[in-house]
Amino acid sequence: MTAYYLQLIVNGIIAGSIYAMFAVGLTMVYGVFKFINFSHGELITWGAYLGLMFTSPPFSLPLYQAAVPALAITVALGLAQDWFIYRPLRQSNPVSLLIASIGLSYLMRNAIRLFWGSDFQTFNLPVARGLSFGGIYITIPQLFMVTAAVVFLTILYLLFTRTLLGKSLRAASDNMELADIMGINMTRVTVTVWVLASVFAGTGGILLAMDTNMDPMMGMSSLIKAFAAVLLGGAGNVWGALVGGLFIGIAENVSVAFISPGYKDFISFALIFILLLFRPTGIFGIKGGVR
Amino acid sequence: MDYLYHILVLAMIFSIFAMSLNLELGFAGLYNFGHIAFFAIGAYTSALLSLNGVPIPLAVVAALVVAGVIGAILARFTLGLTGDYFGIATLVFAEMVQLLLLNERDITRGPMGLPGIPRPAWIGSGPESLVWFLLVAGMGTAIVFLLLQRLANAPFGRALKVVREDEFVAQALGKDTTRLKTKAMVVGSVLAGFAGVLWAHYITYISPADFTLNETIFVLLCVVVGGKGTNLGPLLGGFAIVFFGEFVRFIPIPSEFSRFVAPLQGMIYGGLLIVMMLKRPQGLISESRR
Repeated sequence: MTAYYLQLIVNGIIAGSIYAMFAVGLTMVYGVFKFINFSHGELITWGAYLGLMFTSPPFSLPLYQAAVPALAITVALGLAQDWFIYRPLRQSNPVSLLIASIGLSYLMRNAIRLFWGSDFQTFNLPVARGLSFGGIYITIPQLFMVTAAVVFLTILYLLFTRTLLGKSLRAASDNMELADIMGINMTRVTVTVWVLASVFAGTGGILLAMDTNMDPMMGMSSLIKAFAAVLLGGAGNVWGALVGGLFIGIAENVSVAFISPGYKDFISFALIFILLLFRPTGIFGIKGGVR
Repeated sequence: MDYLYHILVLAMIFSIFAMSLNLELGFAGLYNFGHIAFFAIGAYTSALLSLNGVPIPLAVVAALVVAGVIGAILARFTLGLTGDYFGIATLVFAEMVQLLLLNERDITRGPMGLPGIPRPAWIGSGPESLVWFLLVAGMGTAIVFLLLQRLANAPFGRALKVVREDEFVAQALGKDTTRLKTKAMVVGSVLAGFAGVLWAHYITYISPADFTLNETIFVLLCVVVGGKGTNLGPLLGGFAIVFFGEFVRFIPIPSEFSRFVAPLQGMIYGGLLIVMMLKRPQGLISESRR
């Protein structure tokens, strides 16, 4: 019986490490530009489908090679959405930005349906037998997911704490105008934020598709989980989003033991609702007041 | 001809829905991204009651009351939030409603939906019923439009716009802003419920798949294209978007490409939202500023 709960917790950590990767990007964009980017979810989907495109004919690359051009295009998409849509709208009503990002998300999701259809697809990886650790099963792709998430988030940590660029990112997310006045190169900050957000979204998308499968809605459902994680950690707080992602993953998977699986998604919805109402600065509340 | 009547009925239902959203979004500045929930609540309440033998007029009234009460409850909890946080809270609310509809199978039959929703006897169900339904929908649209027009020109409507522009000014002028916004949300929810009721009894089959984020985006598009903050805007926007959607079906496309039509239509809707925000955020009919 303990093994059963342990298995659920392990599953939760695996799912949570991916949610954390999505949430980190979402919260970085929120931190600097102060808007919720709905089309972040579609960067996740595009990452996965571009991975599929480069692993299938005519390219037929192995997945680890296919990931490189796939991520490059995802980054290009992320930069393009900022350049053509969000940048011109930055000075207008914040809700215009939100509506435009909803429109963009819908446009990008339907483009996926146009190119690849609406059905579930997979990378056709060889079926891997689960490794057993004292009765708890983990597959190779799952192990890979957790490792990749840890590596990526460590690099992010080093970037934020050890480099000048990281310092200017933190300054910009604290107060964009002040950072601009102090002579921080805002173009560089903008580009870095979108590159990081796109890389994390695209990689997370490929990893998620490795473990399960991909469909055009995968980004949207991941986005809601990521958003719950962002709120849990406090909007704009990168480390909060990381812990929040893990928490959502575990809560969701352990809940399966107690409630009907049909309500699995309900956990994140209810969490978002409750957090917004009672604790909008997140439970860690390191950086409060952004509402 | 019957087909034209059918499109007209759909356009009217969506116009009512769009006008109800506009009361919250255009007048009160409440960016409700979960308005579809009230459409669904209206449709399901009326359908379930009338399927269980409650007379239709009574079921309709009950549906409107339920939508209004739930609207008031949602307002009570979410009006403390501002801007995009309010939008997310309402969006999540709609997702929760949809999950409930999908999972409470004993009541809603889950994804199978509710078939055979009865219509009033005098409307009937044959082809000749279309004209009658068109009449009902037309009258409904006219009543909703006139009602909202009256509200917009009353002190209530003007006060709402002050709240939208600057909440502190409204408070300084002695307006109870939470009360005003709650009223707007209750009326908006009742009218969205009414659109849902019309939908349920017209189509006679509903399932949770009819009330998703896609429909939210669709109605948002009607409001944004038509012009938020006016009543005529969403009315025309509803007609324009529904007719455009149907028009796409008549473009002669070889059958092997027909699977591309729906995604392309979606891309156009999404692209239209972006272009409107970039080039003409006020919509086709802009609000007159006096």
